[in-house]
Amino acid sequence: MNISIRRIQAIFMKDYKEFSRNYAVSFVVLIPIFLAIVYGKSGSNSIQTYFLPINMTFSMVTAYIQACLIAEEKERNTLRSLMMSPASITDILLGKSVLVFVITAVLLAVSMFLVGYTPENIPVLVMGLVVSTVFYIAMGIICGLFTKSVMEASLAILPVMIIFSFAPLAIVLGETHIVYKIVQWLPGSQLILLAEEINKQASTMSLLTPIAVMSIWSVVAIFISVVLFKKRTKDE
Amino acid sequence: MSKIIDVQNLQMKFGKEEALKDVSFTVEKGEIFGFLGPSGSGKTTTIKILTAQLTHSSGKASVFQQNAADMNQMENKQKIGILTDNSGLYGRLSIEENLLLYCNLYELPKSAMDEALQFVNLQNERKKKVNNLSKGMTQRVILARTIMHKPKLLFLDEPTSALDPVNTKHIYKGLRKLNELGTTIFLTTHDMSEAETLCDRVAFLHKGEIREIGDPAMLKKKYSDHSFTVELTDGEKHVLLNGQEDAQRLFNWMSTQQVERINTNEPSLGDIFVQLTGSDL
Repeated sequence: MNISIRRIQAIFMKDYKEFSRNYAVSFVVLIPIFLAIVYGKSGSNSIQTYFLPINMTFSMVTAYIQACLIAEEKERNTLRSLMMSPASITDILLGKSVLVFVITAVLLAVSMFLVGYTPENIPVLVMGLVVSTVFYIAMGIICGLFTKSVMEASLAILPVMIIFSFAPLAIVLGETHIVYKIVQWLPGSQLILLAEEINKQASTMSLLTPIAVMSIWSVVAIFISVVLFKKRTKDE
Repeated sequence: MSKIIDVQNLQMKFGKEEALKDVSFTVEKGEIFGFLGPSGSGKTTTIKILTAQLTHSSGKASVFQQNAADMNQMENKQKIGILTDNSGLYGRLSIEENLLLYCNLYELPKSAMDEALQFVNLQNERKKKVNNLSKGMTQRVILARTIMHKPKLLFLDEPTSALDPVNTKHIYKGLRKLNELGTTIFLTTHDMSEAETLCDRVAFLHKGEIREIGDPAMLKKKYSDHSFTVELTDGEKHVLLNGQEDAQRLFNWMSTQQVERINTNEPSLGDIFVQLTGSDL
């Protein structure tokens, strides 16, 4: 694997400058904060309530911005130029993910503070959040690579938002419900289950299972995004 | 001289449509090679195959004695520069910010960017946002980015198509300088005067087939009817051919001081293209 910190940093800085000057896309970072303020004021203290703005951040900010960043590169023919430069696939994908990773981390911290969520086991929860962030970044890359423009990417991301942000709400249906049996394996649901296990101060094994499931999702999503990216280096 | 590009019996099909038919040519080290043809003749397809952006259907294409498909390997990307219709820039960034990105991607010193800006005559415009540039200026920024790492082989697809005559001249001067420093240039154009000015050898591509290949001066000689036009002081023009009869006529005009001007009737590259293909560029 070829990694150059200088190249990753250069792509990150370029994305940061572009993102900070693109108000149409950068505006979305305010939505989870607004939601967190509303949920914080509601007085509810269930894990589901805490994690709604968190899962929203993942789909509406992490996946959406990542998809837009990639789609815009395709729309303007700059992605091919990047691919033709000496930057490796790892350099490009890491460079293009750092910005969204940092934004997500800041938003998650702010959202958790605003909803008043203080987990019992911070390192384990952070591990779960990092694995989730990686998964949603990879989902954003996949959506961005599948589409030709920012407009198309904004539409393509909708199923991701619906499935991965709102489906975990089905957990409230109860363990016997058929929808629950499917939905419980989604990364968003696993994150909620992890938070519940942390809350119950469960055993290490119980904490590892949701992290392992989320990791599998992330690895599969990364694999698809890399394969798709390699395909895009050539015309079909 | 060694072959930098070697293409043999190259064929490219898009579905049933044949974009390239049995194309063969070589480009020697240090050459400026012109690939001439109208839109849709297969020029860009050839560049894309040679730069590993497209996989050819059959035949052989090698660059630096390696399969053209390997041109996407990192060590090869350092050796080539590409300017095609799908080379884009970041509109919200300035010229300098765009070039600085590539300066870092190629791990070059900042002075490489200054040199490239000077090459395209944009050193005083570096702070301008790309979104506010004219088409010609945008083309010059892309060209600066393409040559910044001083590639050994430069692929230029219609490099001066959006430029005004002053900047075109400036770019020609720069390209010749780059070539003198050892850069081999593969240039596609439909501008015959550009080809005549820059190229050591040209190939005429028409509907995916190479119709002729050679040195422009040699081609002009080959396709010339060896006639010349004599313009007399009274404004009359006469086309003469080599031979006793026309030599006597010319001698008579010259001895009576009637000759105003003599021009050879050498065809232009455009004329040769029309002659070979029956269609204009």
